Amino acid sequence: MIPPPNATWHLPPRGVLLAAVVLLVAAEVGGASMGRYKLELARWARTGMLEHPAVHGLVGVRDVDERVLDEALFRFDAGLRLFHMHAEGMALVVIATTTVAATLARAPAARRGLILLLTVGGVGYPLGYLIWSVLIPAYGVERSKAIAEWLVWIPFGGATIVALLWLAALTATRMVRR
Amino acid sequence: MGRPPLIVVFVAIVVIALGELGGAVLSQLRPATARWAAARIAANPTVHGLTGSDEYDDAVRERTVFATEAGLSFFHTHAEGTGLVLFFAATLVASVVRWRAARAMLYTLLTVGALFPLGYLVYALAVLSLGRDNGIELAETWVLTPLGSAAIAGLVGLALAQARR
Repeated sequence: MIPPPNATWHLPPRGVLLAAVVLLVAAEVGGASMGRYKLELARWARTGMLEHPAVHGLVGVRDVDERVLDEALFRFDAGLRLFHMHAEGMALVVIATTTVAATLARAPAARRGLILLLTVGGVGYPLGYLIWSVLIPAYGVERSKAIAEWLVWIPFGGATIVALLWLAALTATRMVRR
Repeated sequence: MGRPPLIVVFVAIVVIALGELGGAVLSQLRPATARWAAARIAANPTVHGLTGSDEYDDAVRERTVFATEAGLSFFHTHAEGTGLVLFFAATLVASVVRWRAARAMLYTLLTVGALFPLGYLVYALAVLSLGRDNGIELAETWVLTPLGSAAIAGLVGLALAQARR
């Protein structure tokens, strides 16, 4: 059960580590910007929503419109927060899982495939939350969510899930063979 | 850096994968999940203290469905986290703890502790079958507390092992 003391991890390619670190930096900068430029961001989003009244169902009655704008602004803010959190988490997931793939996948093609899926999926997925937020003023909450879902969350999240299941199966196979 | 045993690596990967899957299911099937939860509550009226008064029953139903969704959401976030904690902490154990028995003990505690998020799955299901308060108590007492304690003990042990070096 306990591996020999000389069993070590192999590092994934430098490009993968760089992508993960850049994602971590983006997450940190995103979190800091959300705090520092909260008002400016909200003002920008609100202006964008007012430029697209039909998209948000604004009717010109202040009491009704303010409620709609507040709800959309809440989603805009939630998208930024989710980007911050997911980018932090997925960067670490990329580092951990590509390290496992680089160490345990012996066949070069499988190793490359796993590392590619884990990196592209892990780095791409959190960007969906950023895209969702940025699109809300122009396309509305639900339409921008659908765009982010089909363009980013489903393909990139799907790639990550497939790669993780593949990696789990590969690890299990290595355990059984020992 | 030293590599922990494959079983530890396997559990870490599976917990992360379950966390990802949980997030995907939660986002794609949220309305269906809420409908299923409401149906389960309606099927167990006594357990949930439903009285037949629409206003009161709606409030109870809303609170319990919210607890179920919260359990699933906590499962997603905690599984992503504890899988990574297991991976990195076990790598530290493999790298810095020289005594074999201590290594085995720390691996065991950390691996069991990484299963902590399963407590939130139990939480989500137990509030539906036992009622909100009883379900939360069951999950906290029998799953979350023991598994969380194992994780804490493993991390304290690792900290002590590093301090001794």
